[in-house]
Amino acid sequence: MSTSALSAAGETAQSTRPTRTPVFERRLAKRYRDERNFRLLGLAAVSFSLGVLVFLLGNMLINGIGGFQRAELTVTIDFPESGVTGDAVSLTAPSAAQTLEMQGLPDVVAFYAEQQLGAEAAAELSIDGWRDVSAALADDPTLIERSATFELAASSALAAGMQGEGPPEMQALAKRLVDEGKLARNWDWGFLSRSDATSPQAVGIWGALKGTMLTMLVTLVLAFPIGVLSALYLEEYAPRNRWTDLIEVSISNLAAVPSIIFGLLGLSIFLAIFPNLRSAPLIGGMTLALMTMPVIVISGRNAIKAVPPSIRDGALAIGASPVQVVFHHVLPLAMPGMLTGTIIGMARALGETAPLLLIGMRAFVATPPDGFTSPATVLPMQIFLWSDEIDRGFVERTSAAIIVLLVFLLAMNGLAIYLRNKFEKRW
Amino acid sequence: MTVIHPNMADETAKIRAHDVCVYYGDKMAVDDVSIDISPKYVTAFIGPSGCGKSTFLRCFNRMNDTIGTAKVTGLIELDGEDIHGDRMDVVQLRARVGMVFQKPNPFPKSIYENIAYGPRIHGFAEKKADLDVVVERSLTRAGLWDEVKDRLDDSGTALSGGQQQRLCIARAIAVDPEVILMDEPASALDPIATAKIEELIDELSGRYAIVIVTHSMQQAARVSQRTAFFHLGKMVEYGPTSEIFTNPIEDRTKDYITGRYG
Repeated sequence: MSTSALSAAGETAQSTRPTRTPVFERRLAKRYRDERNFRLLGLAAVSFSLGVLVFLLGNMLINGIGGFQRAELTVTIDFPESGVTGDAVSLTAPSAAQTLEMQGLPDVVAFYAEQQLGAEAAAELSIDGWRDVSAALADDPTLIERSATFELAASSALAAGMQGEGPPEMQALAKRLVDEGKLARNWDWGFLSRSDATSPQAVGIWGALKGTMLTMLVTLVLAFPIGVLSALYLEEYAPRNRWTDLIEVSISNLAAVPSIIFGLLGLSIFLAIFPNLRSAPLIGGMTLALMTMPVIVISGRNAIKAVPPSIRDGALAIGASPVQVVFHHVLPLAMPGMLTGTIIGMARALGETAPLLLIGMRAFVATPPDGFTSPATVLPMQIFLWSDEIDRGFVERTSAAIIVLLVFLLAMNGLAIYLRNKFEKRW
Repeated sequence: MTVIHPNMADETAKIRAHDVCVYYGDKMAVDDVSIDISPKYVTAFIGPSGCGKSTFLRCFNRMNDTIGTAKVTGLIELDGEDIHGDRMDVVQLRARVGMVFQKPNPFPKSIYENIAYGPRIHGFAEKKADLDVVVERSLTRAGLWDEVKDRLDDSGTALSGGQQQRLCIARAIAVDPEVILMDEPASALDPIATAKIEELIDELSGRYAIVIVTHSMQQAARVSQRTAFFHLGKMVEYGPTSEIFTNPIEDRTKDYITGRYG
C-alpha cells in the first residue's frame, strides 16, 4: 500500500518536470525536423554545384576532344623517284627545312597530292603541309630512301566540309575523299607542340602554355617570398600602431582591387621602366605578382596567428633568438596555411586576362617564347583570342585550349596540395 | 608589508630581486617584491589565482618582454649581474635560466629533435655523436630515457601528458642552465604523472636552483625547502617551507594555509 502510493507520487513528480511534458516533446520533434531540413538543403546545394561542375567539365570535354584532332589527307611520296635527296646529317640540321624547300619539296608534295587525290582535293591541302613532311624526315632520315605515306593537314574549308558545314561542293568533296579513305580526322599531337597560327588546322597551344609557365614562375618567385616575408614581419616584428593598422587595411583593400587596375599599374610603371619588354612574361609575371601578393600576405598572417603561442614561448625559453623562433618553429607550422593562400592566389593569377591585355600580352605570337623577355601570350589570353576568330575550326580548338588550361590548373593545385600535406604537422 | 623569516638573507643567492614591480598597462600585477633565491634549494611561490606569482617568475628570464604591454621596474640580479643591464644578453639569460610551462609544449618535432634543438642553436654540440650524448644524458636526468629510447624519432607530441612535461624538463636541462623556473608544471597532469614530476624536481635540486610556482600547497610542502606566499601582487611572507606551513607569522598566510580562502 505504502509502496504503491510512493510510486504514484513519483510519477506525478516526474510528469511535471519540464523535460517530460508534451510541449517539450513537440519542441524536440521540431528541432529534429529543422536539423533534417537543414541537412537536405545543404545536400541540395552541394549536389547543385557538383551538377554544374560535371556539366561544365563534360561539355568542355565533349567539345574539346575534337580540338585535339584535325582533318588530314593521306599522301604517299616516293622520294627516290622525286629527286629530293639528303642524308642523316643534312635532314636533321636546323636548316633542313630550307634545304628541302630549295630542292623543291613543296612542289613535290603538291605533285603527288594532285596525282593521288585529284586537282580539286590537292588545292585543299594546307600550304604548309610540306613542313610536316620535312619534320617527319628529320625524325627518321631513312624515309628519304624509300616511298613513304604522310598524313597532311587539310585546309580549314575542307575540315569544315567534312563536318557538314560550308559550301555544298566542299561537303561533297570531303564526302568523296572520306569514302575513298584519303581524308580522316586523326589525333593531332602536334597541337601540344605548335604555337598560334592563322589557320585552325595549324594552331597549337605550346606557345601559350610555355608563356603561362614562364609568367607563373615569375609570379611565384616574386609574390611568394615577398608575401611570406611581409606576413612574418607584420605578424612577428612590427609594432601595433596606427601605421601598421594602415598597412593592414591597405593590404586587405589591395586584395580586392579589380585586376584591370593592376594591369594599368603594370603598364604605367613596369612598361615605363622597361619599354622594350612589351608582351614579355617577365612584365606579365611582375604585374600578376602585385595581384597575388596581398592574398598570400593575408592568408599567411592568419596561418601565423594560428601557431600556438606556447610553441613560441617554449623556443624563447631555451634561448632561441626571435629570428630562430620564426624560422625554426613559426614558419614550418604556418607553411601549410601559407601554401593554401598561395594556391588560391596563383589559381586566380593563372586565369587572369584583364591585366595582361593592358601590357600587350594579347599579341599574335607564332613562336613559343624562348625566355622571360621574349614576346609571349598566356593560356587564358589564347582562349580569348581564339574565341574571337571567325573561322569555325577555332571553336573546337578553343575548347581544347580550355582543357589544357584546366589540366594545368589541376596539376598546379595538385602539386601545392601535395606540398601542403607534406609540411602539415600536428601539435 | 612583507614578513621575511630570520636567516633568509643569503650571501650566495643565485637570484636577487630588489623592489620589483610589474605593470600590465596601468594595472600593477607585482607590487614591490624583494627576494633572495638560494642556489641550494627548491623555492616555491604559492598564493591564490591572480596574485602575481607567475608574472613574478617570468621576470627572472625576461619572458615578460614578449608581452607588449608589460613593464618591469626594479632590479633583478643573476649572480650579482643586472639581468636588464647592457652586459646581459636576453638570449644568453634564457639559456642560463630555463623554464618549464604550465601546459606541456613540446615542439612538433621528434623527441630527439626536441632535446637537441637547444644545444644545437647554442653551438654546445654540433656533431651527431656529441648530440647523442646530450640527448641521452638529458632524457636520463628527466627520467624519460627508458620510456623513449626505442622511439626517439617519434613526434614529441605523441607522448602522454606527463611524458611530454618530462620531455620539456629534459629540453630545459639539455642546455645545462643554472636555474630552472617551473610555472605550475604539474597542474595539467594526473596524480601519478604529478608524483613523477615531483620526484624529478627532488632529484634535480642541488644541481640546479629551482623556482616553482604552484597552486597546490601540498606540492609546495613536498618539494620545496623555501616558500614565498603571494597575495594581491605582494609577497606576504617568505621563509623556510616548514616554518611557513607550521608556524606562519602573518595572519593572511595562516588563513591561506588553513584553507580559509584561495
